[in-house]
Amino acid sequence: MNKIPIILDCDTGVDDAIAIMLANQIPQFDLRAITTVAGNVELEKTTSNSLRVLELINADIPVYAGAAAPLYRDQVTAGYIHGENGLGGIDLPLHRTAVPNITAWDAIHAEAVKYAGALELIAVGPLTNLGLAFLKYREMPRLIQRIVIMGGSATMGNVTPAAEFNIFADPEAADIVFTSGVPVYMCGLEATLKAYYNHDEIKRVGTLNSKPARFFHDVTQDILSFYHEFGMPGVCLHDPMTVLYAADDSIFETHHVNIRVETKGKLTQGKTVTDLYSDKKLEPNAYIVTNVDREAFQNKVYELMSGY
Amino acid sequence: MEKIPIILDGDPGHDDAIAWVLANASSMLEIRACTSVCGNQTIQKTTYNALRVMALIGLDVPLAMGRVKPLLGQPIVAPSVHGQTGLDGPQLPEPVVEPLAMSAVELMAQVLEKSKEKVTLIPTGPLTNIGALLLLYPQLKPKIAQISLMGGGLAFGNWTPAAEFNILVDPEAADIVFRSGLPITMSGLDVTQKALVFPEDFERIRALQNPVATVVAEWLDFFYSFHRTKGYAGAPVHDAVAVTALVKPEILTMVKFHVQIETTGDYCRGMTVADRFGVLGQPANVTAVMDIDRKAFINLLVDAAAYYGEEKK
Repeated sequence: MNKIPIILDCDTGVDDAIAIMLANQIPQFDLRAITTVAGNVELEKTTSNSLRVLELINADIPVYAGAAAPLYRDQVTAGYIHGENGLGGIDLPLHRTAVPNITAWDAIHAEAVKYAGALELIAVGPLTNLGLAFLKYREMPRLIQRIVIMGGSATMGNVTPAAEFNIFADPEAADIVFTSGVPVYMCGLEATLKAYYNHDEIKRVGTLNSKPARFFHDVTQDILSFYHEFGMPGVCLHDPMTVLYAADDSIFETHHVNIRVETKGKLTQGKTVTDLYSDKKLEPNAYIVTNVDREAFQNKVYELMSGY
Repeated sequence: MEKIPIILDGDPGHDDAIAWVLANASSMLEIRACTSVCGNQTIQKTTYNALRVMALIGLDVPLAMGRVKPLLGQPIVAPSVHGQTGLDGPQLPEPVVEPLAMSAVELMAQVLEKSKEKVTLIPTGPLTNIGALLLLYPQLKPKIAQISLMGGGLAFGNWTPAAEFNILVDPEAADIVFRSGLPITMSGLDVTQKALVFPEDFERIRALQNPVATVVAEWLDFFYSFHRTKGYAGAPVHDAVAVTALVKPEILTMVKFHVQIETTGDYCRGMTVADRFGVLGQPANVTAVMDIDRKAFINLLVDAAAYYGEEKK
């Protein structure tokens, strides 16, 4: 089997941590690198958290640190959701370091050149690193097969009424990515809010006899209470869903649409403006994932975690 | 039962016209005045259409003409949806009255001042007149019972991907209305795109064979000709939902939200931004209509059209 060369760009983060564990188990992926970006928590933490998770699952994958702040906005983080350390207060050992002196965007470019157009990017945090890669390397658009992101929404927001966190955190970078010419597959809130894991399902994974499975259980405990407070039935696995989508889209509903990023509106900065439900249709430039077969998703996650 | 005094403010427009047919047929409403606004077509055309609709349905109340353009910026018209006249399709009777010399805002103020009871406003076009009313006569706010409007969409737009036509045409007026603190019932695209009248329903109305029903059926024929090209299974009679919210609220599902109007942005001007998860911690300012019992809605429209046959007997 020809494996797909993948770079996972993340702001680790509870659900990013799970996304890394799953990506490492997906047989069709050749996970080339993890690149990190500031987002859910500060860059120092997203980098060390990524290293800790890779150490936990004993995966020999390089980590490249990326942007510590958005392209030109003030930083926003979500420590109140992911915990002060970004991993719900769980303390994982750390004996590794990121690759020194190579930035995330340089690493993305180097791998893209190496795979001559076959590389796929999965970005589950703010899109700053990808934006910088496009700003620096002119040939970038034809070197990337596609970009699968967790971010945005056609119909709602979460961090603001109109905007989802990852896009809101760096709308200018998102705009660069959506206008890059590379096909963008957007896993937005319509789908990811359905990709939840409830208390019993988390417990079921927790009883699998492995350190990663126990970590899956422990790291989701605080965030589960957060989601319950919002009346949600479980923890939304936004980033893991995005990784699974990149591997196999058969349990998802996808539409070819036009998506533009609002960077200026007073109330709507960071909204992914989508023509899917509007009478006004524009030239399609992206794909939006609007639905997931939750049962199948839930089982797939369990199955992959059983691999540890 | 006491009738609810109302002012109809619209830019007829096929769905405005059907909304007025519905309002005039209801024994629950007492129409005190009509005002026109520029929207679906220029103010001259929407005013002429309003007068023709009033002649058709025998609505004998004062009408005053709105401003020639939105509060700020230039008009946007919708000939692709409503035709060059703004109400293309069947032949209509000529107006039997002239518009008043006073402006729409002055007429609204006069009705509110004179009324012993609070008056409900039903705007089914851009909110220019209501915005101007609130700017000019803030002291009359206590005389307004509520504003039941057609406009916006919490999840999506129609004229642009983010904005619905009525709000897009005059976002500043909408902003004034939504920040007014007055009770607002918003029938936006979330519900009005489900308020579909299917071709088989047109035939039920046509079969009534009274002059108003015949015209309504032909309006629906015309209105659907545009929507069919957009993939609709029927004609979304948006504006009639704003009247339904008063005469038959039990067939609607309503949810309260905090809603703000985006007046800026590259792509989002005119968007109704709803705080669905309550992240702003602001109290709700809007009762949003989110769903409709479609069959009951059709029955309501058929009964309204039938009313004009009974009257003649």
